[in-house]
Amino acid sequence: MYADVQGKQVFATTGGKPFDNRKPTVIFLHGSGLDHTFWGLHSRFFAFRNYAVLALDTPGHTNSAGPPLTSIEAMADWLNDVVEELDASNISLIAHSQGCLVALEFAARYPERLKSVSLVASGLATPVNDALIKAAEEDPEAAIAMMLGWGFGSAGHLHQGPIPGNSMVAGGRKVMRGNVPNELATDLKACNAYQNGRQAAAAIQAPVQVIIAGKDRMAPAKATADLVEHLPDPEVTLIEESGHMVPQEVPNQCRQLLRDFVFSNNPAT
Amino acid sequence: MSRFLNFDTLSLHAGQIVDPVFGARAAPIYQTTSYVFPDTDTASSIFNLERGGHAYSRITNPTVGVLEQRIAALEGGSAAVCTASGMAATFCAITAILGQGDHIVASTQMYGGNISLMKNTLPRFGITATFVDPTDTDGFAKAIQDNTKLIYGELIGNPGLDILDLEAIGKIGADQHIPFMVDATFNTPYLCRCFDYGANMTIHSVTKWMGGHGVAIGGVVVDGGNFDWGATDKYPTITEPYAPFQGINLWEEFGPSAFATRIRAEAMRDFGPSMAPMNAFLLLQGLETLSLRMDKHLANTMELLDFLTNHDQVSWVNHPSLASHSSHELAQKYLPKGAGSIVSFGVKGGREAGKAFIENTELASHLANVGDAKTLVIHPATTTHSRIDAEALVAAGITEDMVRLSVGLEDVADIKADFETGFRAAKRIAKV
Repeated sequence: MYADVQGKQVFATTGGKPFDNRKPTVIFLHGSGLDHTFWGLHSRFFAFRNYAVLALDTPGHTNSAGPPLTSIEAMADWLNDVVEELDASNISLIAHSQGCLVALEFAARYPERLKSVSLVASGLATPVNDALIKAAEEDPEAAIAMMLGWGFGSAGHLHQGPIPGNSMVAGGRKVMRGNVPNELATDLKACNAYQNGRQAAAAIQAPVQVIIAGKDRMAPAKATADLVEHLPDPEVTLIEESGHMVPQEVPNQCRQLLRDFVFSNNPAT
Repeated sequence: MSRFLNFDTLSLHAGQIVDPVFGARAAPIYQTTSYVFPDTDTASSIFNLERGGHAYSRITNPTVGVLEQRIAALEGGSAAVCTASGMAATFCAITAILGQGDHIVASTQMYGGNISLMKNTLPRFGITATFVDPTDTDGFAKAIQDNTKLIYGELIGNPGLDILDLEAIGKIGADQHIPFMVDATFNTPYLCRCFDYGANMTIHSVTKWMGGHGVAIGGVVVDGGNFDWGATDKYPTITEPYAPFQGINLWEEFGPSAFATRIRAEAMRDFGPSMAPMNAFLLLQGLETLSLRMDKHLANTMELLDFLTNHDQVSWVNHPSLASHSSHELAQKYLPKGAGSIVSFGVKGGREAGKAFIENTELASHLANVGDAKTLVIHPATTTHSRIDAEALVAAGITEDMVRLSVGLEDVADIKADFETGFRAAKRIAKV
């Protein structure tokens, strides 16, 4: 569905059910250069279990009008604009990678409507090396290859996707090709510049879940440990065999963890 | 693993999860119709497309899934759906997006079955086609009508072997928001990955070079994931709610694999042309050695081109690797490893001499197939293209004296010797 937010078109898939703000809401936030389809194996599940679902395209990405936002803080404010425009309430945020930084910042700034926060494959910050940012600006195919190459674990590289016939890596590449060079480069710079993770984490009031991937090269163990240390009493789960792209690489395990956490902290009638 | 795997590695490994129970290294043959659900919630999730998984082998099967994901990986596509045959793949792919009142712009040089489908069968369903000479790139643009929803062709035309200008025709489609579907059977992804040049979907008869052994029939549709279905309202089967799955919007929810998902959700469910697990297993065995076989096919082809062009019983030889072929430059651009292993040639003495050649070869098998490990010969005018009319025969570049050769993997000296036997018989006929 499309919504007009501050005069700009915002797209979200609602998981196959019309958005109904009387229901508890699950909002999905994607990572750098990606879009709502990243959550395809999760959004429909919640929509058909009586949640109002918004799997968003952040500004400039795929179906949402640009330009892309240049800071994590701006993305958090934009998310609040979306929430207010749609009058969503009882919100469970589910975020991956860059989306987690946005979720941290949103949770710290706008705690009123939040019921839970699920952070998948992230640290408190996401430092991005100069070579990747330069590639995103000047050689997007190389940047996409780096991100997908590092992002997916062996299941992705071996095209062992969870949907029969589908290739996770190729699907990701097609999505990212639609979001280069501006969106990806802007995302990466925003991640690199974000410094407020520690303070935001400490300020979160809602229950927090952290899902860590054992073979994550983009949010390695040291980074995720830092996140866990600064969150107030998070529920932490390690999925040993997954790379960074947890919701796609091990969707069934990931969905079960998200389900249990959201169902218990933000039950739908 | 942080770097992408190369073609030969993907040919062996892509799509397969090593059997977690017994550790079987080969992809197991899951010869089962159905699958036990662990609980009702999982069952409903699979039926509602909330999660991946298998419910019934008409729709998905684990062995077939390995083949699908391996082919998607080799093509660089976002998804693939295997079917019972190449023709089933073509039909499922077309009907996924076209219906009553829609129109196709297609190449004249295609497998006779494709031409017959579009000329004779699809019109009964309200789908019409305009056929265009594959070398007339502008002709594709001129043939587009308001109701055109597909551009279709074979990269290496059958049997004239003219090469489609993928980039130019892909641009015509992209400019007018019309998807470009390529039958890539003759090239396989080893010789050309058509998505790199503007194709949006590919079709393969996996029966041919991909399988390579001539033991199993199969087809596949590969979704390039690179067509913006949402740019117009012309493709409601992809962008509008689909009632059988609770109004799912495939474009919104599946993005780059929306087209393949439509085929899975509709064609496999409602038409049911599924690939048998045993066939998928057999085709996987062939696919493992695709590059090795293609290299040998190409090497033998080049040797035979030299042999045929210098043979006094041969009136003409047609192959895009020859400088004399009108598509030679395009072949070098799109098929730098080689332009496939189909050769057509004329036997001096016309129809009867050609017939004598075919009937007197012993190693070369006279049959209606291509892409086998074994060398094959046939007379298209009386067999593969016999169901199309005289005008279409001419348009397809088929002459009465034409022999179509599918070069196999035998020792090329033995193929030449076999052909000499055929040519001697043809010479006797020609002198009568």
